[in-house]
Amino acid sequence: MTTKTLLIIPMLISILALGACSQNQNDKGAIGSNTGSGTSKTIGKGKGGGSGTSSGTIGRGGASGVSSRDGRGGSRGGSAGGGRNGGNGGNSASNSGDITLAGLNDPNNLLSQRVIYFDYDKASIRPEYMILINTHAQLLAKYPNLKMRLEGHADERGSREYNVALSESRAQSVRSIMGIEGVSGQIKTIGYGEELPVVTGHDKKSWQKNRRVEIKYDGH
Amino acid sequence: MNKISYKEKIYKKRGGWVFNIYSYFFTLALSLVLLLMASNASAELELHISKTSSDEIPIYIANFAGGASGIIAADLKRSGRFKIVPHSQMKPRISPFGGSLNAGAYQKVTDYIVRGKQVGGGDLQIELVSTSDNAKTYFRITPNINRRRVAHKAADSIYEKVTRRKGAFDTRLSYVTVINKATKNPTFRLYIADSDGYNPQAILSSRKPIMSPAWSPDGSELAYVSFETNSSAVYVQNIFTGDKRKISAREGINSAPAWSPDGTQLALSLSVNGNPEIYTINVRTGHLQQVTHSSAIDTEPVWQSRGAIIFTSNRGGSPQLYRISSRGGKAKRLTFNGKYNSAADIANNKMTFVTGRRGAFQIALKSIGSSGRDILSNGRQDESPSLSPNGAMVAYTTLRGGENTLAVISDNGKSRQFLKSPAGDVREPAWSPYLHQ
Repeated sequence: MTTKTLLIIPMLISILALGACSQNQNDKGAIGSNTGSGTSKTIGKGKGGGSGTSSGTIGRGGASGVSSRDGRGGSRGGSAGGGRNGGNGGNSASNSGDITLAGLNDPNNLLSQRVIYFDYDKASIRPEYMILINTHAQLLAKYPNLKMRLEGHADERGSREYNVALSESRAQSVRSIMGIEGVSGQIKTIGYGEELPVVTGHDKKSWQKNRRVEIKYDGH
Repeated sequence: MNKISYKEKIYKKRGGWVFNIYSYFFTLALSLVLLLMASNASAELELHISKTSSDEIPIYIANFAGGASGIIAADLKRSGRFKIVPHSQMKPRISPFGGSLNAGAYQKVTDYIVRGKQVGGGDLQIELVSTSDNAKTYFRITPNINRRRVAHKAADSIYEKVTRRKGAFDTRLSYVTVINKATKNPTFRLYIADSDGYNPQAILSSRKPIMSPAWSPDGSELAYVSFETNSSAVYVQNIFTGDKRKISAREGINSAPAWSPDGTQLALSLSVNGNPEIYTINVRTGHLQQVTHSSAIDTEPVWQSRGAIIFTSNRGGSPQLYRISSRGGKAKRLTFNGKYNSAADIANNKMTFVTGRRGAFQIALKSIGSSGRDILSNGRQDESPSLSPNGAMVAYTTLRGGENTLAVISDNGKSRQFLKSPAGDVREPAWSPYLHQ
């Protein structure tokens, strides 16, 4: 192997990493502050905080291996895992003191993240969102009078009424995972289809931002 | 459906040749090659618009008072069956209605000449002359509060006389607009307009989404979906009185209402049992009956007849059209071309639907019972096709300058017009049935 090749490999890696990072900066939905970055390499300080290359084990949610497999929405999940749990083994994963109503509006708390993103024409939950969903479920379990709305949305592609059903199925997927905590009765689902986009663009980036379930609490 | 019939044909043809294992494999390979060729051929065929209707018929429409001639010309042109002959080609100039006319002298330029005038009591009198045999037909249209409807009725009379098919210009469109899309303050409005987009009138306005307008078979009521209570509900509203009543506001989605041909029931998609399924509900009694039972998404029902419903389902892994008895039972898959076929509408034995092609969504049209389909539109995000009651035109929305715009395309693909509509993003046109007065 020549020295030239040896030089090219790290260059390629950094270019890829920068690419992932710039993707992060465009993800305005990601709020996590990335206090513990675990095994991930953080290059630059994107608004997104969580780095697109992060990987690690999530403790509580039962899911393991957080990765930004498509570079679209995965980075948000990365920030969810990385921001809260930090390190490899999911240390401090269950600090129940964090799961409070006040946490909903604390940007450093995972509970402040209230959007879950989906793949095209899919209602299945990406593994990286398991811990986020589970944490919200635990909040509901802790406050039995608390009511939640899961508002499902779709991107503009495909027919409008099918998208209503698809977005409802997305909200139902989130609810059924939360149901493990026995809190289904506190949750109402709404399928808005493609009627309430957050961005109006007609490109892949916009579509990803619009394929989502928003977690909403009455009065919070 | 195409592919299956090809397969069957080849299998039958070759079946008699099978003597031993070698010829069996040879036959299999040959069949595969033939199959590939056949499916390629059908893929190419579908790009062409079929020549089911004859070429556009040249027609000259003389100017007459009141602006009706321009409305008639635009109507006939929009049907894709007529070519409007310009005034400059009519030499010598045509005398006004009542004046002498040597129609044969224009035979090389046009097949028909239309003249008209307002007569006593405000009636519009129309004269249709065939240049080949000088045959004259007269129509008298009575006045209407909506003056444009007089011209649409005249266009219907001309269309029917020449094509021997019922015209559908004197009809209405309903559609939804939204302004301030993707902001915190969107405004949704439900509109009714003439079939050429004129005279739009809002009949409902809301800060929350309005969706899925559907005309009752008598044209007096609209069913639609509203999210005004922070969840979806199906309403029926009388378009003349404004009276509205809630039909379904169950937990989950209340979506995609479609009237039965006799107007007594709505088919709709509900997820009250956890998963979007097709139901029918009696509009008067509220009696609810579940039609589909699957773990997949079932939505977008439309009635093919009193006893049959066509709907969209992703039970096969991607959204496709299926047919089921309106009383339930086993569903039959209808579409096999492509990974996305949805949002069917049916009129006069034709079915239009959205089809996904190479990442784009376009409007397809087929005759019920036939295997082929035509792709009518060529946009990237075309959706919500709705057939005119005579099945000759399809209203749909297409992206234009970043916003959804209303368009009408003829069933032979020869005419496409963008319709005027109020400001905002336009969606979900629904073509009314024939009007009764």
